[in-house]
Amino acid sequence: MAVSTVCTTQSLNSTCSISTPEKTHLGFHQNQVVFYRRTSKRGGGSCVITCSVGDSQTVVIGLAADSGCGKSTFMRRLTSVFGGAAEPPKGGNPDSNTLISDMTTVICLDDYHSLDRTGRKEKGVTALDPRANDFDLMYEQVKALKSGIAVDKPIYNHVTGLLDPPELIKPPKILVIEGLHPMFDERVRDLLDFSIYLDISNEVKFAWKIQRDMAERGHSLESIKASIESRKPDFDAYIDPQKQYADAVIEVLPTELIPDDNEGKVLRVRLIMKEGVRHFSPVYLFDEGSTISWIPCGRKLTCSYPGIKFHYGPDTYFGKEVSILEMDGQFDRLDELIYVESHLSKLSTKFYGEVTQQMLKHADFPGSNNGTGLFQTIVGLKIRDLYEQITSSKTAAPLEATKA
Amino acid sequence: MATLSSVNLVTPRPVVVANLPKFAKGGPVAVPILNRPWKRVYRLGSRGLRGTGPVRAAPDGISEKVEKSIKEAQEACSDDPASGECVAAWDEVEELSAAASHARDKKKDDDPLENYCKENPETDECRTYDN
Repeated sequence: MAVSTVCTTQSLNSTCSISTPEKTHLGFHQNQVVFYRRTSKRGGGSCVITCSVGDSQTVVIGLAADSGCGKSTFMRRLTSVFGGAAEPPKGGNPDSNTLISDMTTVICLDDYHSLDRTGRKEKGVTALDPRANDFDLMYEQVKALKSGIAVDKPIYNHVTGLLDPPELIKPPKILVIEGLHPMFDERVRDLLDFSIYLDISNEVKFAWKIQRDMAERGHSLESIKASIESRKPDFDAYIDPQKQYADAVIEVLPTELIPDDNEGKVLRVRLIMKEGVRHFSPVYLFDEGSTISWIPCGRKLTCSYPGIKFHYGPDTYFGKEVSILEMDGQFDRLDELIYVESHLSKLSTKFYGEVTQQMLKHADFPGSNNGTGLFQTIVGLKIRDLYEQITSSKTAAPLEATKA
Repeated sequence: MATLSSVNLVTPRPVVVANLPKFAKGGPVAVPILNRPWKRVYRLGSRGLRGTGPVRAAPDGISEKVEKSIKEAQEACSDDPASGECVAAWDEVEELSAAASHARDKKKDDDPLENYCKENPETDECRTYDN
């Protein structure tokens, strides 16, 4: 699907130059450059060079979440919606955080740490602190990738805690930047075509971290709790405020279906979608803009305890108009999932049952039986829809220019 | 090789359910990979041959680092829990725990045949047939 814009340059003398595909500042993407030369009728001897820029429409998506909150799972679901599995760059640093698939490249913003682990220890700052991150470099490189220029991005090695030599990143069709601060810097925020924030409540975060860390020697309930508590001030000051800028927020809370539940297995997940975002139409239930409370379990569908409960309605979030779709409970069977999918509207699916198919494809991922997996899949489909809208609108504009 | 894997074919289901690590996040263990049964059979073969159970701890290097960092954090916080050193130390623990968990997941999915076939899909061992 080569989408190209045609640009023409005219030189005053009769020199003609042919541009060749290189990874230069001209921003050509290898294997996609098509050039042809035609002579202009005007101005004797002047030559018209036409070049096509393959990837000037990189779509940039930002994903913000604290560590241990499901960013990797979300990334895997998202890349799977576009087809293919994302993998670390072949032949490069094995500890690279970057994932590359045919359509997408996922960049971890930890690579833009200005202080490595020892540096942060000396200064007494956490990775959450903006002083530990180089936002200027982040802005320059994201801007370059968005305009179709390859960059040499540093690598932050999570195992050693050091900054490794840079790796080359070529501009992809979809660039996802995931980390702690994608929306912190205003300049970077303006480059994002769509942004998502994963908001995990404290109780759920604690339960997830226990599940993650209890297998490690050395960790105990107290150490996990102390780790969360001591990071909380920095998190609340620097990371949490980013949720007001996000176009979609996935909020994960403990369930309301089971009184006094502290296992954290059944979750209540809310998908908060901002209204009025370009190329993004929020999902709705039954009737857009009205408030609906829906329990699908009944005569047509039998669910096991604790069942499923849906809620949809308009609301305001940090002063902005939003629509909230909420799911409490979990799916036990395939037919529950397809039943729910058939009643949701504006899912941006290409065929009936696509959401269910995507969920089944990754049934082993955490959250595949509750709202986290469902809403992550839906957001993935929305991003695909956004990408297709952006690329089709960009091809329309230059075609008109060439006619002139 | 062929006969060994066919022996394992005889008892597919109970072996799969017993050896699959239960995901503590409450997901149903059902729903196997339906469209590629040959892949599932292979996995059974490799598990049967190697006899490894679900992997629990991360590779030793990272595990030791996590342990060490927890001790250091507890020491740093014994004087002043609100100081920069204490906060930075616990942040390091969090970072290393996350790295350990990623390493554990990677190790779980590490299948030598899958890795080989990713690089060389045209070799005889890696040919697939979609009927």
